[in-house]
Amino acid sequence: MEEQRIGVYVCQCGTNIAKVVNCEEVVRALSEQPGVVVAKTYKYMCSNPGQEMIIADIQEHGLDRIVVAACSPRMHEPTFRKAIQTAGLNPYFVEMANIREQCSWVHDDPQVATDKARALTFGALHRVAKHEPLERMSVEMCPDVLVIGGGVCGMTAALELADGGNHVYLVEREGTLGGNVARVDLTAPYLDSARDLITALVTRVEEHKRIDVLVHSQVSSLEGFVGNFTATVETIWGDGASVSQFRVGNVVVATGYKEFDASRVVHYGYGKLPNVITSFEFEKMLRAGRIQTKEGKIPQYVAIIHCVGSRSKEFHTYCSRVCCMTALKYAHEVKSAIPNCYVSDVYIDMHAFGKGHEDFYKRGSEAKTLFLMYAKNDHPVIRKAGPGDDCEMLIEVNEKLSGEQIEIPADLVILMVGMEAREDSDAVARLVNISRDKDGWFIESHPKLDPVATTTDGIYIAGVCAAPKDIPDTVAQARAAAGRILAKTIRGSIEIDAVFAEIDEDKCSGCRVCNALCPYSAITYDASKKKSTVISAVCKACGACVAACPSGAIKARHFTDSQIFAQIEGVLT
Amino acid sequence: MAIRVNPKLIDELEVYGAEDVQNCYHCGNCSAVCPFSKEPYIFPRRPMRYLQMGLEDKLKGSLEPWLCYYCGQCSEECPRGAEPGETMMSLRRWLTSKYDFTGISRAFYKSGKVELFTVIGAALLTALGFVLWAVLRGGDINSYDGPNAFLPAASIHIFDWALAGVLLALLLTNCGRMWWFTLGRDKQLRTPFWLYLKKLYLLPLHFVTQKRFATCERKRPWAVHLALVVSYLIMLVLIMFFLDLMWSGPEIDWRVHVFGYIATVGLLGTTIFALRARLKKAEPLYAHSHETDWIFLILLIFAAFTGILQHILHRVGFDAAANVTYIVHLMGVVPMLGLEVPFSKWSHLAYRPLAMYFSAIRAEAKERAEKEAVEPTLAAQPVA
Ligand SMILES: Cc1cc2nc3c(=O)[nH]c(=O)nc-3n(C[C@H](O)[C@H](O)[C@H](O)COP(=O)(O)OP(=O)(O)OC[C@H]3O[C@@H](n4cnc5c(N)ncnc54)[C@H](O)[C@@H]3O)c2cc1C
Ligand code: SF4
Ligand code: SF4
Ligand code: SF4
Ligand code: SF4
Repeated sequence: MEEQRIGVYVCQCGTNIAKVVNCEEVVRALSEQPGVVVAKTYKYMCSNPGQEMIIADIQEHGLDRIVVAACSPRMHEPTFRKAIQTAGLNPYFVEMANIREQCSWVHDDPQVATDKARALTFGALHRVAKHEPLERMSVEMCPDVLVIGGGVCGMTAALELADGGNHVYLVEREGTLGGNVARVDLTAPYLDSARDLITALVTRVEEHKRIDVLVHSQVSSLEGFVGNFTATVETIWGDGASVSQFRVGNVVVATGYKEFDASRVVHYGYGKLPNVITSFEFEKMLRAGRIQTKEGKIPQYVAIIHCVGSRSKEFHTYCSRVCCMTALKYAHEVKSAIPNCYVSDVYIDMHAFGKGHEDFYKRGSEAKTLFLMYAKNDHPVIRKAGPGDDCEMLIEVNEKLSGEQIEIPADLVILMVGMEAREDSDAVARLVNISRDKDGWFIESHPKLDPVATTTDGIYIAGVCAAPKDIPDTVAQARAAAGRILAKTIRGSIEIDAVFAEIDEDKCSGCRVCNALCPYSAITYDASKKKSTVISAVCKACGACVAACPSGAIKARHFTDSQIFAQIEGVLT
Repeated sequence: MAIRVNPKLIDELEVYGAEDVQNCYHCGNCSAVCPFSKEPYIFPRRPMRYLQMGLEDKLKGSLEPWLCYYCGQCSEECPRGAEPGETMMSLRRWLTSKYDFTGISRAFYKSGKVELFTVIGAALLTALGFVLWAVLRGGDINSYDGPNAFLPAASIHIFDWALAGVLLALLLTNCGRMWWFTLGRDKQLRTPFWLYLKKLYLLPLHFVTQKRFATCERKRPWAVHLALVVSYLIMLVLIMFFLDLMWSGPEIDWRVHVFGYIATVGLLGTTIFALRARLKKAEPLYAHSHETDWIFLILLIFAAFTGILQHILHRVGFDAAANVTYIVHLMGVVPMLGLEVPFSKWSHLAYRPLAMYFSAIRAEAKERAEKEAVEPTLAAQPVA
């Protein structure tokens, strides 16, 4: 190997590093090392003058490797890679030593911190000598998109994508589109008809020439990686079934939710008391245009109980977000259908956070809805009323705003059942290779800054399948996912990082230990050859397989054994 | 035992003027700003809650509505437009009807027309009765005092006392019922007799000075109210004890004269002020007038005006006109005292000081009970 010409740059990060680490001393120690042609310290290496200094030195001194001792590589590795690429070097010929987070920010003693900074920089110096030139790959991005779930969310995403010019396969398990909103009467808080809303969406989806709707269908497998997935869909027709296969570049998961099973809450007597019904059963009554008890009587007292299955220790701790406003909507609908009916609304807190919600709450008060407050985990209890009472049932509750133990008369009780992850959410998560939280909702890449992406490139989640939300939020997410995909597909190709694991076929024994280990499902197994292979576009270079392979057949690019040993050696000199 | 919620009560209270109580969402701003809300009587939020939930028994046992003077600060601060001040006013009307066992009060509050017709009926009956009586006993319409007087002072005096007796009996039973609802029936509360004696001074004190009212930020309503009460009291004393002195021809005792004029000016002035203020809705207190408020004020001004008019007519020598005016005056006074005092607005003159008295007793009894509950446990603790 010919003699390398290495440049070392020690950043002061203003005073962030320099106030503890003696940067001059680190520079002095490094400049005496073999191969080091230039060693310098500067106030801000990441600044434009800092980067320009590196570029100028590369050109002037013919440097071929660069070490930057500065902050975390998570922060500025891409910056310096780009800089040396501008100067004509392979971008992977730079190595960073983290002397800020790992030295100046965590040590008080300047001498100790300086010694450690020097050791870490030595490590980087020895490692960079072993770096190999790597090339990033560019793969084709298939513009077609698979949308799983044909509720408000799936349909909205499909329309947005198709309007943008992409072809969409919309896969819905049920026989009709619409999802849960198709079971709702009016929508809170503006009291628009859900039916109109759904009909408009379904009509447009079905008529759109770039949307293929597959009802009675389910995705049975999804192979490949971002830009190049192959989806297999099974469709059931009456007594027959058919399988179709197509290529897609991205996937939107919009599988929604199921309602909480009210019979799990024993003290509400759901399933035993005939006039205790769920919100969805009440929606059915509203859609039929007749509010009545099982006996066919017009109720004089209607009671609504919030947070059934939600916000409780026993069932789900989260808030289902839509039931408060839906309850107010029921109060409104009952009062307008039966003006002399008394409505009691029994809640824990009134969550009226959205646009128009607080006004809707006030309107509920003005219409004389009796609001009663119970404490979390101190559920009301429903029992049958006696023969002398003018009502069917009595709801006993510890009312917080009065401090009294009270009983509320009721002829009809509506339970505001919460939202729950679907039974098959686990299977769906495995199918598209994403994770679920403790409640079964799909996890986003970042809860605040990257809400619709997931840790798997090309897989997006939107709507309630990610967490309970109302229609406006669902629609916003559907559009966001579609927008992300449109932005990616518009270029026709994507660049894939050159850092990934590779399996040496000659050494692989076909034991398949790595297959199940990979957290990103990046390893496939070729049964005929009895060998495992890494799909480089999916691999995130975590290194799990590298360490586990009993045959030592797996090598992680840019994290080779010789590079890591060199780094250790450097630290120890 | 759980208390049954009655969602219908809130509808019932609407005729008493509580129209916005449903809007309250219990932020508690009102109780925080109310200058009268102090432990253990925190209001108006709590009574509002009882009303929303229809806890009728709790409300009947509440003294809080009487501790409110409708300064309106709470209504100003309420973010929901629930009108807590107005609700307290309505509760006072409702409580008045609950204390009254005859049901007359309830009928008056439920319908202004019923009250109006009853008042007119009573006025006509009064006129008929006095005229018949005077004519039958041979009274001379041209003579105002002396042996042939159309309406001799001595007889009127007897009538006054008889009316006062009936009134007092009615009022006392109502007050007794108030006591029963708020103190008597509460078995948890131990109120020894000496406690009633100890706090007795509060009754006349509050009755005469209205001093709690003076706590309000705006002093004018209190001043007007005080003037009205004092004038009314002076007039009451004059009529009940010195009526014959007011008749004794040109040589009326100068003290009767001075006090009589003071009272008349006070009554006329305050009622005119109150009527104007209600018409203009000048203060929160005057913003929402119930029909009963108008009837009461009109009767009052009518009585005061005819009272002074007959006096003037007599003094200038028009005895016949004075006698007619006197009959007209009685047509106002009798329904005012006979109907308004026991069954309507006037009765708060008794209930308010009583509430002050009862609330002090209740507060001290509760405090004693709490102390007793704490002390034995303290004694049982080992001394550290
Ligand atoms: C009682 C009640 C009333 C409501 N009222 C309102 C309201 O008034 N206003 C408002 O804004 N919000 C309301 N909501 C909320 C509303 O229901 C949701 O915001 C909305 O349904 C979310 O849409 P989605 O498409 O994400 O999910 P969903 O509506 O659940 O749709 C998901 C779709 O995916 C399909 N699917 C699921 N799994 C698969 C699979 N593996 N393969 C293929 N297809 C699959 C399902 O069949 C379904 O069609 C209400 C909710 C409830 C419980
Ligand atoms: S939205 Fe309201 S009813 Fe639904 S879970 Fe949240 S707090 Fe409970
Ligand atoms: S390095 Fe990690 S992500 Fe890549 S194949 Fe191995 S286990 Fe999977
Ligand atoms: S301020 Fe208004 S809303 Fe708040 S507790 Fe009082 S009456 Fe209710
Ligand atoms: S009107 Fe005044 S006195 Fe009455 S409750 Fe309100 S703040 Fe208190």
